[in-house]
Amino acid sequence: MKTFRIHTKPIHRRTFLKQSLLGAAAVSLGGHGPVGAQTAALNAAGSARAVGIIDTNVNLFDWPFRALKYRNTRALVAKLKKHRVIEAWAGSFEALLSKDMNGVNARLAAECHEHGPGFLIPFGSVNLAWPDWEEDVRRCHELHKMPGVRIYPGYQPFDLDHPGMESLLKMTSERGLILQVVFGMEDPRVHHPILNVGPVTFGQLSRAVNGTPNAKVQLLHFSGSSQGADVSEFMAKPNTLMDISRLEGNGAVGRMIGTIQGLPSPRVSVDRIAFGSHAPYFPVETAILKLIESPLDVQQLQAIMQGNARRLLPQA
Amino acid sequence: MNPREFFINPADYGLPTREELVAYRIWDNHFHGFASKNPIEQYERNNFFVERIGIERSIAQEVGGTLEEPFAPYPYDAEIVKILERDKDRLSGRTPIDPGFPEESCAKIEKWIRDGPCIGIKYPGTGKKGVTCSHPNNDPIMRLATELDVHVYVHTWLKVGGTPRLPGGDNGPSESTPMDLAKLAQRFPKVSLICGHSGGDWELGVRAVRPFQNVLLEFSGSDPHSGMVEYAIRELGVERLVWGGHGPSRSYATELGKVLDADISKADRMKIFGGNLRRISASILRKKGFKIVP
Repeated sequence: MKTFRIHTKPIHRRTFLKQSLLGAAAVSLGGHGPVGAQTAALNAAGSARAVGIIDTNVNLFDWPFRALKYRNTRALVAKLKKHRVIEAWAGSFEALLSKDMNGVNARLAAECHEHGPGFLIPFGSVNLAWPDWEEDVRRCHELHKMPGVRIYPGYQPFDLDHPGMESLLKMTSERGLILQVVFGMEDPRVHHPILNVGPVTFGQLSRAVNGTPNAKVQLLHFSGSSQGADVSEFMAKPNTLMDISRLEGNGAVGRMIGTIQGLPSPRVSVDRIAFGSHAPYFPVETAILKLIESPLDVQQLQAIMQGNARRLLPQA
Repeated sequence: MNPREFFINPADYGLPTREELVAYRIWDNHFHGFASKNPIEQYERNNFFVERIGIERSIAQEVGGTLEEPFAPYPYDAEIVKILERDKDRLSGRTPIDPGFPEESCAKIEKWIRDGPCIGIKYPGTGKKGVTCSHPNNDPIMRLATELDVHVYVHTWLKVGGTPRLPGGDNGPSESTPMDLAKLAQRFPKVSLICGHSGGDWELGVRAVRPFQNVLLEFSGSDPHSGMVEYAIRELGVERLVWGGHGPSRSYATELGKVLDADISKADRMKIFGGNLRRISASILRKKGFKIVP
């Protein structure tokens, strides 16, 4: 039988213990009490704490086409905490189809404050196809004190070649805001027939960000498929990040960071990958299982579960 | 890294450990290990994940030809048969057919099921003549399935599109809808039929097959939607659900998440993860000499 090696570097016992303790220290900052040891190996080495997760991709309120199981914010918060999520960056399903974006953003801010202060971090939205979207950016930042904004191109009627994209990148960059770009919400094959969601073209974003290379940009629900544009080059920019919610295929996270071979995948540094569940549309279990399924060591797990998101947003 | 080596304890994150997954006795109803230009290499490589997740048995969807060319000689057939024998404690297969060619399909079932290693029939939905599973061409195939007492897996989808724009309007010419499968089920109530991919659109797929007790709904090869399994249990009953991994093109994580999202008993999870598939495969497995605990 042919055997295949997994390309995770062997870890010396002393190094392993040190890395494990790094994980424990990170968790202690998150304010969680002691939990069970992380692995059988870790049990043998002593005790440690499980790393809390920063979920960079959840949405609140009602999905327009189905009553989701965790549509109630209180229930969603409880569900996320059950799975050791310590912070969730929350957008709003209302942003997909609404015109009154300030109303959307105000309700999002209030909901986060009421049900998860310090836990639910509101990411308001702006719609480049609506006039005076710049004022929505200003209000998200100054009025609602949000650390970033999330756009939903395709549902919001523009692609990433919209003339406002460069201005949006410049504006968010100057204000130190994170721009989250959502590449999809559901499989287009099961869209409600009344919907006609436009394309979302990664290459256009790559070009737009060239003028603002230090912009903080996170790709959400991005499959890694770029239709010719260089994902690896884009993700090498200093403040870029992508979530894992849309990575598909066995070992997808590991393939992307190069710890395992298999189906073709763009290569991205582990420093650019962050946990994102796409809850409550997707089960939060799915994203955590991706981290279990892929062969990842302690440092890689810590970076994806918490460290990389914390680097982009040091204080929520 | 050893496939059983983890640096994260699932129990710390509200998820089953590997030992608990093994205890569920997971039978993967939808395995594409051989769907590749390098099928043997892909199969061996994917075993890392089979072992890591603790899957008890995988049912390969393409044994004897390919999904696109089910009747053409396939240079890897002999090697795949050897692997089926070598890994018989954890691997079984279905053979793909095309109802556009009923005689050839029946001959293939004779060769690969009656006289061969396979335990089920696979309808890929990529046939050459635009014939779906509701067409009368399927009747001799179903009669043979009845005689052999084997289950039939049908790829179904409801791709939105067409004019007017509707679910199923963008399906391929040979790609069955759950409504096609419902027509077949009505004609052959004694054949266990699996509605592949939950019909693609599970909310509509469930509705289409709901009246037909011989149809089981399969969760695989579509996005994971929170609440989908509980909905299917409410409408169909837990005895009519089966689980598929659809690896390696889909992630086992994606597919496991669908069932783990559901607030159901361990006994019900075990039915979905493998018990129901073992029930409908019991007869053919016995004939093939397998001693399977239900």
